[in-house]
Amino acid sequence: MSPKKTVKRSFRNAKWFKALIAGLWQDNPTFCMVLGLCSMLAITNRMDNAIAMGLGVTFCIVFSSLLVSLFRNVIPSRVRMLAYMVIIATFVICVDRFLKAYFPPISEELGPYVGLIITNCIIMGRAEAYAIKNGPLLSALDGLGCGIGYTFMLILMAFVRETIGFGTLLGYRVMPGSWVNWVVMTIAPGAFFLLGVYLWIFRTIAKKTEA
Amino acid sequence: MKALKIILFVLVMGTVSSVMLVGVNSFTQPLIFKNEEVKLKSAVLGALEITYETGSALAIFNDKVRVLDAGKTEFFISRDGAAAFEFYGPGLWGPISGVASINPDLKSIKAIKIVSQEETPGLGGRIAEHGFLKQFRGKEFFPRLVFMPEGKSSAVNEVDAITGATGSSRALERLLNSVLQKNAGILKEQLNNR
Repeated sequence: MSPKKTVKRSFRNAKWFKALIAGLWQDNPTFCMVLGLCSMLAITNRMDNAIAMGLGVTFCIVFSSLLVSLFRNVIPSRVRMLAYMVIIATFVICVDRFLKAYFPPISEELGPYVGLIITNCIIMGRAEAYAIKNGPLLSALDGLGCGIGYTFMLILMAFVRETIGFGTLLGYRVMPGSWVNWVVMTIAPGAFFLLGVYLWIFRTIAKKTEA
Repeated sequence: MKALKIILFVLVMGTVSSVMLVGVNSFTQPLIFKNEEVKLKSAVLGALEITYETGSALAIFNDKVRVLDAGKTEFFISRDGAAAFEFYGPGLWGPISGVASINPDLKSIKAIKIVSQEETPGLGGRIAEHGFLKQFRGKEFFPRLVFMPEGKSSAVNEVDAITGATGSSRALERLLNSVLQKNAGILKEQLNNR
């Protein structure tokens, strides 16, 4: 084997790359772990909400994973859940205040769901499943991967729901004037159907690639 | 000893995160207050039909609107004598809030603006749309404002309800009637006392 090839291989098999890529596909928080669905159903009716929510959640996962990992040898195992909650809550409140101060319209649209990021299982899950056992850099990358994977699904959902439900995309009209909005897509039941269809598609593809 | 360590850890962690949050809070609080003020004042300007540009809402408000504090309710009075006030009450699914303005005669509506509502999108949610709200202009709310089936309104105190959103229409009808009549009464008293 030539040395060049070894370099290329080691990059794809490197721990950091695996940590980052896991959340994007084979461990995707939505269609593999099926976590964080409440917010997925609630706030994906418009693209701008989905993007804001995705960024907020990604920020919270990256930094809470980083902190949990940094303090993993200090946190007594009996109060580790409490430690996760405090760390996550601190970052979520920061995001909430930031949105309220600089993006009041988005903050209003998202309503209580910004505060409810605290209860998003993806963040808690990554802290318990990964960050508590791995180094800070890997944990942050793992968090980033999951955050991007989650944001990707939010955007896919919002793309269909906004175009069909409102006839717009990011507020711009994309459907012809005669288009009749599908009201069901703008409310939670429509999101349920759409999520089911997406899960079906992605699980089918995933099964083929795994085999 | 182990328990002591745990308690110490929790205490330190709690203190550190509290200090951080206090810092974030003191930094963002003024901005958040300002956003809320801008939102209310823009809604009032909208209801009084005073044109403004984003960014200049506060200055125009201070220049053209007089605030009359009547205890529980604040009235915002423009130079031509129209008065606006906030209203708040239950809709079908969630609270409805907005700003209404009445003409100087104190018995007809100038404009209604809905600031927030949680009605069914596309059905009851249309109460916030301009096309629905513009029909309130000049309508009288004594003896009461009446929501008629769509297309049937004719009298000076009748407006069209929204077909398919009977619950939301009824809720808004009840809310507007109570708040308009009550506030017109309060305002009359306030103006007479001067």
